[in-house]
Amino acid sequence: MIDTAQDLKTYRKRIRKALSNEFLRTALDNFAAAYKLSRAKAFEGIDLEALKRDIVSGQDDELPFLENLFENFKNNAEKAGVKVHVAKTAKDACEIIGKIGKQNSVKNIIKSKSMTAEEIHLNDHLEKEGFKVIETDLGEWIIQLRHEGPSHMVMPAIHLSRQQVGGLFSDVTGEKLDLEDIGKMVKVARRELRDKFLTADMGITGANFALADSGAIGIVTNEGNGRLTTTLPGVHVALVGFDKLVPDMETALRILKVLPKNATGQAITSYVTWISGANECAASRSGKKNMHIVFIDNGRLSLARDPVFSEALRCIRCGACSNVCPVYGKVGGHALGHIYIGAIGLILTYFYHGKENSRAIVQNCLNCQACKSVCPVNINLPFLIKKVHHEVMKQDGKKPAKNKILSAVLKNRKLFHSLLKAASLVQKPLVRKNEGVIRHLPFFFGKEQNFRSLPALADKPLRDQWKKLNPKVENPSLRVALFSGCVVDFVSPEQAEALLKLVDKHRVQIEFPMEQTCCGLPALMMGEEETAREVAVWNIEALEAEKYDYILTLCASCASHIKENYPKILAAENEVLYKSKILGSKIIDFSSFMTNVLRISHEEFEGRGEKVAYHAPCHLCRGLNVTKEPRDLLKTAGYEYIPCRDEDVCCGFGGSYSLQFPEISSEILNQKLDNVEKTGADILATDCPGCVLHLRGGIHRRGGKIKVMHTAEAAALNKKTV
Amino acid sequence: MGHDDLSRIMKEKAEAVQSFVTSVKTFDEVLSYTVRTTKRQGGKSVAAPCLDPAGKKALIAMCDSEGLILIDPPFGNISGKIDTALTHADFGVAETGTLIINSGSEDLRIATMLPEIHVAYLNKSQIRPDMDSVKAEIDKILKTPPAYLAFITGASRTADIERVLTIGVHGPLELHILIMENPLS
Repeated sequence: MIDTAQDLKTYRKRIRKALSNEFLRTALDNFAAAYKLSRAKAFEGIDLEALKRDIVSGQDDELPFLENLFENFKNNAEKAGVKVHVAKTAKDACEIIGKIGKQNSVKNIIKSKSMTAEEIHLNDHLEKEGFKVIETDLGEWIIQLRHEGPSHMVMPAIHLSRQQVGGLFSDVTGEKLDLEDIGKMVKVARRELRDKFLTADMGITGANFALADSGAIGIVTNEGNGRLTTTLPGVHVALVGFDKLVPDMETALRILKVLPKNATGQAITSYVTWISGANECAASRSGKKNMHIVFIDNGRLSLARDPVFSEALRCIRCGACSNVCPVYGKVGGHALGHIYIGAIGLILTYFYHGKENSRAIVQNCLNCQACKSVCPVNINLPFLIKKVHHEVMKQDGKKPAKNKILSAVLKNRKLFHSLLKAASLVQKPLVRKNEGVIRHLPFFFGKEQNFRSLPALADKPLRDQWKKLNPKVENPSLRVALFSGCVVDFVSPEQAEALLKLVDKHRVQIEFPMEQTCCGLPALMMGEEETAREVAVWNIEALEAEKYDYILTLCASCASHIKENYPKILAAENEVLYKSKILGSKIIDFSSFMTNVLRISHEEFEGRGEKVAYHAPCHLCRGLNVTKEPRDLLKTAGYEYIPCRDEDVCCGFGGSYSLQFPEISSEILNQKLDNVEKTGADILATDCPGCVLHLRGGIHRRGGKIKVMHTAEAAALNKKTV
Repeated sequence: MGHDDLSRIMKEKAEAVQSFVTSVKTFDEVLSYTVRTTKRQGGKSVAAPCLDPAGKKALIAMCDSEGLILIDPPFGNISGKIDTALTHADFGVAETGTLIINSGSEDLRIATMLPEIHVAYLNKSQIRPDMDSVKAEIDKILKTPPAYLAFITGASRTADIERVLTIGVHGPLELHILIMENPLS
């Protein structure tokens, strides 16, 4: 049975168990690599962005009018001899379907895969009512036999090895099967299930589309079980979420263009089945299929009206947000979801299965944006996940101490900064000289934090050195404010010094607005929306964007948070929203500034033949869509750039994530460092001070040779001195 | 794009998903291909729900001489096994190598689902470049209920065990597409 951890302690125990499953890790790792390639191939030559825009604008137009679409659908379907039902809740839906079975003297039910049926625990209900229910999708049948929930929306049994499946099938059939021979296992399933199809009285399916203008449903499958389920028995019940309503075939075909490609890298699935009305059916006494469509609300209709969360209903269930999630890749779906899994699962669980099931899992998000970038319907998954976290805490009415402290401190810039300065003094005896790391972790860090060395705070923060550092420029051609971010300010001021060295002679006046404070992303990461709002407003005032040509950042996370999240957080506050948009429009990341604005050239640098590998920070490559500039910059600066596997996969830092889930963070970090070390590079460069800390801490802990530095530092090293 | 180009793309895309694609000139070739394929796979029975009386007569003759049985509809209460089904296809979609079959008839539907081998013949002139170019027709079919419209692309497949692609889990193990040069008279 599905039993999701409801508190962090239990949850972390489960995570450790999942992490110890070697098969799962290897399987998911291979899957992630293969998926990327096949997806890219499937979308070759297709303008995916345009397609996404068309789909999303259609969906956003339709969502407020789902009830109207439903009325049209119902009229058309009923005219064609279909009985249409509405279920308000999961329980209602189960009861309606049970009743249909009873009224038709049904004994044996066959099902084809439906996440919606999983959502409402339909099988449990029907079995209690005395029906014999058989799942016929191979993966679903396997997990049904094992009494498990799906661990992936498209591949429900991806967590199992062939040996486990072979053993299971041997038990079920009483015949000894070769535990390596998958082909034979599939044949056994064909044989065993064929008989079930032929003897069933009722078939239950889901649907991918419900077409309002015809009353037809569309089902996207590969195995062919959906076709048999809808054809052989006398009764067919389709369980459909209101969110599956689309106006017409044109809309459905548009979605069909992306669904299989994004789900499995197939141009189209083996079967797409469209059923309109009650079709010819010999097994039914009337000669016509006894056809029922049960529309389920279960919170969808109020979700559709939610100004923020409604976009979650755009989901077309492709499962891609799991495929690319670094956390999913380590722990699998049973540890990253309840019924719905992966990024969308962390959101939908709250709405369909309540805050208890959501409380722990919703915190397991790195905010790496991989899901968001692969989502074919542009759901801002990481943002909504944080929003759900916030809602759960609000409903629980109590906050963890760490949240209270963080909020109290961040809301007061002076307090925050003086605490950091005090901490710099306190940590002195703990610092390993010349290595910039803490020698012994203070007692309040558990030993599971030991997977990477933690950084020491700088002796003197950037803000206190600024007066001395800042070279006055006569007749500057550009006036730029530096938003350093907390890490550069208090841990790595040398990255700002590198920047100053690089802009020297480019007639750029860089200023450091002293009132700037933490961008607020850490608060948002912990679900502290109110605090995130307060610091956003503070920074907007402090930075006075209108006075500058650019607001330059060395930290991609700060940049993307300011640019993208500030306007979202401040959406309801007109005046400050306007200012946040001006600020957002002037934000520029370091590499883009050097490459596109200053247009630095080869002549300024002398290479020393060093090889550099690059780590693409999540919030740069996905948050700001900057991918070319940092690599160009490294080459311009005289380095030999060596591409590395999974450059754009998160390093596992995620700010407070690495403290909250050190087990997972360390696995992701280690994989990253293994990949980097394989390149044989001398230097690992990246454009995010947070990533630098995490990667450098990891290299230090494993005694590696690679020097980890900010791209600015790497470039500054090669800058000619004359 | 001309019919020849569409036919070429159709073949390429369908073969990419393990369909077997052959061009034929006469309907006799369709029938003999079906019989030959059944024999090669060790099958014993053929179902062909779409044939007109003349076609059926010709197929029976061929089956007889090869020791095969032609099973008559209805297939709903299927007692024996159908090894091969021969059906028509209404449209081909070149972009994805897809067959579109208007399967309102239950016997036609079952014939495309239960057998080990599905052989479908398709007029070359009915191959369209993409889904959008056949949208009007499929829309019309669905708006004239009851209708059961099937897009079929390759054989039945699964990757549910260790993501290993395995063909023929519930539907046909093989899909053969016969593209007819001249429309069936």
